[in-house]
Amino acid sequence: MKKTAAFAALVAAGLAGLGWAAGADKATLAKRQDALNAEYNLAKEAKFYFVLDIAGRTVELKVRSMVLKSWPIQAMKFWGQPDLAGTVELVKKTTLKAPERIVIKPGDTEVAPAPAAKAAPAGGAATTADYNLEALELRDMPKRFSLELDNGLHITVNAKTGGRLGLGSKMKAAWRWYVSLPLRNLFGPRQDKKPSELELVFGDEKDAQSVYWHLFDGIKGIVL
Amino acid sequence: MIIKRLLIVAAALAYLGFLAVLGASYFIGLKQASTWPAHGQGQALADKDVPKVEKNVLQLEKRMTGLQPKGLYIVIDTAENRLTLKNGDQVVRTAVVSCGSGVVLEEPGGKKRSWVFDTPRGEFTVKSKITNPYWVKPDWAFIEEGEKIPKAMEDRIEGGTLGDYALGFGQGYFIHGTLYTRLLGRNVTHGCVRVGDEDLKYLFKAVPIGAKIYIY
Repeated sequence: MKKTAAFAALVAAGLAGLGWAAGADKATLAKRQDALNAEYNLAKEAKFYFVLDIAGRTVELKVRSMVLKSWPIQAMKFWGQPDLAGTVELVKKTTLKAPERIVIKPGDTEVAPAPAAKAAPAGGAATTADYNLEALELRDMPKRFSLELDNGLHITVNAKTGGRLGLGSKMKAAWRWYVSLPLRNLFGPRQDKKPSELELVFGDEKDAQSVYWHLFDGIKGIVL
Repeated sequence: MIIKRLLIVAAALAYLGFLAVLGASYFIGLKQASTWPAHGQGQALADKDVPKVEKNVLQLEKRMTGLQPKGLYIVIDTAENRLTLKNGDQVVRTAVVSCGSGVVLEEPGGKKRSWVFDTPRGEFTVKSKITNPYWVKPDWAFIEEGEKIPKAMEDRIEGGTLGDYALGFGQGYFIHGTLYTRLLGRNVTHGCVRVGDEDLKYLFKAVPIGAKIYIY
C-alpha cells in the first residue's frame, strides 16, 4: 500500500513537473514571439538598433537583424519594474564630463581647445598611436555614464577597469542605491513614475567607451 | 536629566524606525526586481495557440534573415577604425582604416558656415567606382588651410591624394586611398574612409556597385 502511494506521489510529481516545464516552454515561446515582433519592426528599417539582453548578459548593436557589435556585460543589478514590452528609445546620454568636439577657426589662435600631443616615450620614437590627435576618438569617450530610456528606465554604465571610484563617489552611489531608490520606490508619487534602475558593468573600459560612442541619442532598441 | 534620556530614546526610536522603513523598502524593491528579466514580455498561451505561435516565430526568423544583405557587403566601425568585408556571416577581409575626426571647422570672418568632419553613420550603397581618382577640393579644404577659395574649377582639382581607387557612397563621401598610411587606425579624416593601398585594391576589385556599406 505504501509502495503504491509512493509510486502515485512520484507520478503526480512527475506530471506536475512536466506541466510546469510545458508552461515554461509556452512562456518562453510567447516571449520569443514578442521579442521577434519588436525586433522585426526595427530591423525592417535601415537604422541601427540595440538589443539589451539581460538574461544573456550582452548589449548588441544591430542593423537588418545582423549583429554589428556585441559587448558582454560582466555584472549588473537592477531596481524597479519598468515596462519592457515593445521597443524603447534612448532619450538622453549623460556623463560628468561629456567629450567635446575640437573647433577649428582658421586665423583664430585661441579658440581651438586642441589637446597637446603627448611627449614621446623615453628612449624611443613615439608611434602614431601614442599621439593625441586633434580628433574625437574612442579613447576620449567616458567610462562612466547614464542612459535614459523613454520607458523610464535609467541605466548606469560602468567599467570594471575604468579606474577606482573615490570614497565620496562610492558613498554617493551607495546612498543612491541602498537608501534613495528604496525610499523613492516605496513613497514615490505615482505608480507610473516609480524608479527603474539598471546598472551595467563592463569588464573592459573600452567596451563602456564603445557603448557611449555607438549608442547615440534617439537610437531605438529592445530589452529582453 | 529625564528630558535628556527621553530625547536619546526618541532619537534611537526614530533611527530604528528609519532603518525599519528602509529595510522594508529595500525588501519590497528586491522582491519586485527579482521578477525583472521575465517581466513585461511573454503572455500566457493557450495550448491551441502554440502551433500558431510556433509557425509565426519561424516565419519571423525567416523574414529577419531575409533582411540581411545578399552577397558582399562592407561594415565599418568608426570607433575602432576597422573595415570588414563580409559575405553573409563569413569575414572575407579586414582592414585598418581612418574615419572622420569629429572636428568642427568654422569659417572665419563672421560667416556662418561650419563643417563637422564625421564619417556618416548608417546604411549606404556603393554608388561609383573610380580608378585614379582626383580630388575636387571643396570650400572647407581651402578654409582649413587658410587659403582663398578659388573661383575656377580647375584650381580645385588635386591628383594623387586619394590613392589609386575610390568607391563613392553618396554625398561626396568615398572609401579611398591615402598618403598618410601611418595614421591608419586613427580618426583623422574629413569624413571619408581612408584605406591602405593593398586593402583598397582588393576592395575595389571585389566589391560591386550596389553593394551595401554599413557604417556605425
